[in-house]
Amino acid sequence: MQQSGSGAILSIRGLTKRYAGATALNNVSFTLQAGEVRAICGENGAGKSTFVKMLMGIVQPDGGIISVAGTAHEIRDALQAQSLGLGLVAQELSLAPDLSVLDNIWLGSTEVPFFHRRSSLRARAQQALATLGVGDWDLDRTVGALSIGQRQIVEIARLLARKARVLILDEPTATLSDIEIEKLMQVLRAIKARGHSIIYVSHRLGEVFELCDSVSVLRNGEHIVTKPVRELTRESLIELMLGRAFEEMYPERADASAAHHGGLRIKNLHVPGAVEDLSVTAPRGKILCFAGQLGSGATAVTRALAGLHDKATGDISIDGRTIRLGSARPILAGEVVFVTEDRAGEGIFPELPVRDNLVVSKLAICSRWGVISWRAVRKLADDLAAQVTVTCAHLGIKSGYLSGGNQQKLLFARAVGRATPAVLVMNEPTRGIDIGARAEIYRLMRRLCGEGYVLLMASSDIEEVVGMADIVVTLYRGRVVACYEGAAVRMPSILRDIANPDIPDGQVA
Amino acid sequence: MRKAILRLVPPAMGSITPLNRFRRLDGSQIRAILHAVFILALMIAALATPGFLSGPALQSLLTTISFIGCVAVGMTLVTISGNILALSLGATVGASALVVIAASNRSGLAEAIPLALMFGSMVGAVQGALIGCLRANPIIVTIATSVLIYGAAQPITGNAAFYAVYPTSDSLLNARLLGMPIEFVVFVAILLICQFLLSFTVFGRNVFMVGDSFNAARAAGLRPWATIIGAYSCAGAFSAIAGIMLALRYGRASMEFGLGYDYSAIAAVLVGGTAISGGQGSAIRTFAGMMIIGIVQVVLLLQGFRQEWQYLITGVIVLGVVLLSPPAGR
Amino acid sequence: MRLLSHNQHTRPVVLLATVFACFALFDFNQGRFLSIATLTSELDTFCTIGLVALGLGATMVIGEFDLSVPGVFGMAGCIAVLSGVEHPAMGFLLAVLAGLSAGIIQGLLIHRLRLTSIGVTLGGLLITVGVAYVLTDSASIPYDNLDVALAMNDQYAGVFTSRTLMTIAVFAIVAVLASITRIGRDVVATGSDRNAALVAGVNVGGILVGIFAFSGALSAMSGALLSYSLASASPAGLSDVLVPAATAAIIGGVSLGGGTGRPLGIAAGVLTLAAFRSGFSAIGAEPWVSDITTSVALLFVSVLDAPALAGRFRRLMHLGDPADLK
Repeated sequence: MQQSGSGAILSIRGLTKRYAGATALNNVSFTLQAGEVRAICGENGAGKSTFVKMLMGIVQPDGGIISVAGTAHEIRDALQAQSLGLGLVAQELSLAPDLSVLDNIWLGSTEVPFFHRRSSLRARAQQALATLGVGDWDLDRTVGALSIGQRQIVEIARLLARKARVLILDEPTATLSDIEIEKLMQVLRAIKARGHSIIYVSHRLGEVFELCDSVSVLRNGEHIVTKPVRELTRESLIELMLGRAFEEMYPERADASAAHHGGLRIKNLHVPGAVEDLSVTAPRGKILCFAGQLGSGATAVTRALAGLHDKATGDISIDGRTIRLGSARPILAGEVVFVTEDRAGEGIFPELPVRDNLVVSKLAICSRWGVISWRAVRKLADDLAAQVTVTCAHLGIKSGYLSGGNQQKLLFARAVGRATPAVLVMNEPTRGIDIGARAEIYRLMRRLCGEGYVLLMASSDIEEVVGMADIVVTLYRGRVVACYEGAAVRMPSILRDIANPDIPDGQVA
Repeated sequence: MRKAILRLVPPAMGSITPLNRFRRLDGSQIRAILHAVFILALMIAALATPGFLSGPALQSLLTTISFIGCVAVGMTLVTISGNILALSLGATVGASALVVIAASNRSGLAEAIPLALMFGSMVGAVQGALIGCLRANPIIVTIATSVLIYGAAQPITGNAAFYAVYPTSDSLLNARLLGMPIEFVVFVAILLICQFLLSFTVFGRNVFMVGDSFNAARAAGLRPWATIIGAYSCAGAFSAIAGIMLALRYGRASMEFGLGYDYSAIAAVLVGGTAISGGQGSAIRTFAGMMIIGIVQVVLLLQGFRQEWQYLITGVIVLGVVLLSPPAGR
Repeated sequence: MRLLSHNQHTRPVVLLATVFACFALFDFNQGRFLSIATLTSELDTFCTIGLVALGLGATMVIGEFDLSVPGVFGMAGCIAVLSGVEHPAMGFLLAVLAGLSAGIIQGLLIHRLRLTSIGVTLGGLLITVGVAYVLTDSASIPYDNLDVALAMNDQYAGVFTSRTLMTIAVFAIVAVLASITRIGRDVVATGSDRNAALVAGVNVGGILVGIFAFSGALSAMSGALLSYSLASASPAGLSDVLVPAATAAIIGGVSLGGGTGRPLGIAAGVLTLAAFRSGFSAIGAEPWVSDITTSVALLFVSVLDAPALAGRFRRLMHLGDPADLK
């Protein structure tokens, strides 16, 4: 919009995609000018990743025209997108971990000759890295040995080396620590200064306001609006994304701790390389939140409590009884329930019916001498499905076909319906879930609180932390920064703690 | 996240071949129809074949599939638990046969049979422990175990067969139950036990869950390693039963007994439609697969095709069924 | 230990050197192990297994598994013997072509229909075995062109036969191709992270089909050469190749997860296996000693590579800790 005269580098008209009845993207149109940095914002499920996949030819649109530099193209595959000058840095990086940095930069490029060890290619790769301010990197290092942030920079270097005209970054900071984010921002500013166009897909508003010229908002597959960043505020952008103000989502706090005794006590929890010396007490009837960014150790705490970290050490006790770390026994005994952030990888059983997923940890109740009573299972499953409000045609369908929100509810079903209230450990409980299901899960969490459960949750979503937590423990690089309770739970102090608590702004390693 | 055995990533995300499109319409229904048509055609061919329904052909079919069937049922358990290719079950068959003959020569059948069963399940359990507890690769572990068993058997047997001192099985051999060979009755019993385990026990449900997603089972606190050890122990025990039956029928035992059983068993599992990536399937399906292969072979034999054509056509059927199975990955 | 478990590229060489040193030591300078005869028999094993291991290993590098190699191996031997009496080269070519096309068909099926390689190649195995039986009427067949058989076993420089030289040449060519051409890089990328390779623009489908074709062709070549040199072919296969080939590939640093393993590593793995076999027989041990040693070595490698080993070991150490047992 600013750099007038250079013309539109990318123009999209009426882009539409339908999946099995559901419309993922409906009639989206906009134009990207050369040299412009455009943010694409939207809640999960708004259609952002479908949009990116269609630009890169990974998914074919059902309708619409994509024009690059004034010419309409039908983008059939990644190779063609590459030759048009479109380059993607996806959430799942497209680097081969067993190859060197140099090989990865030229992997799949059409310019590489059959005998590919050419000094000219090496020099150009080196030059691309130098542009990004990392010219001192060893080109022969295996990519598997690099951190996620460094890999992302390799991926950007790959696009630069291939002379990409439009860089598309899909949630590039979702898995980065704050220092790596700052490094990435530097790199992106350097690219912007050289006149490249960037499409920046993110729901992290801070980065949008820091880096981008304009924002396109998607909601439920529709293009809502495109505006210059300076005409927007944080609040107005959130409202555009959600379609409503976000406070409505969180249920009222009702302090249930008075009615219950005991709780979970963590003393001197160590997880090598992730958490150092963490001690905290979580009373029954309250939600305790570990707030921190990726690499802060918040995730490691929850995984250690779930028995999934075999290096963890420390004294953990529930109501005064010691439980063992690194063992599945507490989960089996029903004392601890774990809700993972990686639903597809270690959450649900996708090929099994919804019914089986509901009763996973309760088969013992429905069986005698190891023999299952299917009548009891059906009854229990119906009951649990009603309690966690799973919506599906019937309980016999494969759980892999459910939406993310419904799948997450299946995981929460493991916690409800217990004779004695348990400790519910959650890791990013609402990641990738639509707004409706989110509100229902928050209500469910509050209900469990009232029943005397201990709720522990790790989250990097600060709005969620402020909206839900009774107690917040902020973590930075594996150490506890502070602990807030009740009215002291406020966004600014938490934000400061989980970003750099002791390093002044601007001074980055 | 790497899948432990082989990564079953779809080779191309975006490539749409005509068959994919065909499949996208209603893949599972089309496959079901093709299966039904195939089985119907097979039935007609079988019934139209003179001599098929006569005693000897059917009897010998039932006896033959009983031995491999026991191994296939065990293989089904292992496959559902997400660990394709237990390549050591054939060796277990041979070794159990040796154990039962050696032990019965020393102290009688009553002690020999439980001993051989225990031997089989122990061999399975050790592999299960390596695979389930350490997450060692199932293909490598079972290949190595198989080589180990064949190697260890050589000095013990001196590459010869063990013969039973007493004629063990004259009465057993000719026993019939409801007109069926005794081996087939045992096989059906094992089949039903296995199906019962899978459908009606906590262990069986755990096998499905572990096979569907090892990590999810771990996060749910299910002790996946114990389930995998259980699945391999059962597979070992079922293979031992095949070995025992072979030893009793022939009154001798040798490592030749189990040769090639692994592949036949896997073929039966696949033809039955148990998913190769785990988490789905049933013992009954494997039985169906077993019967399909067996009937095809008998029909070919009775129709005058020679043995070598049977091999070829079995291969074509297996490949055909695999081609009908749903694409890998999700 | 660290050398063994952490560096996939040096491990095969270290193992090979260790095995050689052990045998030399056990031999007490009696000249049984370090003799021409032993070396010849070792190279013989290298020929039989080597090419199959290279092909199978390549499918493992891209994260697949080619179960059909023994079938193709046997079928190729039968084709070569049946069609190569007049023109041995013609028979050899036909055999390799048959293996190549078997590989291409399987690769295409796996790629196009997105099927698992285990299922498809199991079908391929049964079919190729069936074809071999049909071609030979279920009987072993002799190869009447004894000149060729003798020529195959002619020795050069004391230990090499034309069969060994061809095998070594194939290994050398593949090693060079793998290290300096785009193909080698793309193969590793495909095995390392297939989706990543696809998004980066690698022709993953081509690589997949190509590798299965490569595996089929090499197995066929190895089978045909063996049949020529033994002057016979059998549909049941003259030698069990799947297990030793997989073993050699794994000892040679190939992991079933894909992405690791190089041709020279596989060569070292095959030589290690061959050294086991020839070494034990040279020092007068029974054949089962080598079987048992090989399988124990294979179990050892699989346990070393097992992802949960470290955690289990740590827990085992902690069991003695009384606080943990409460």
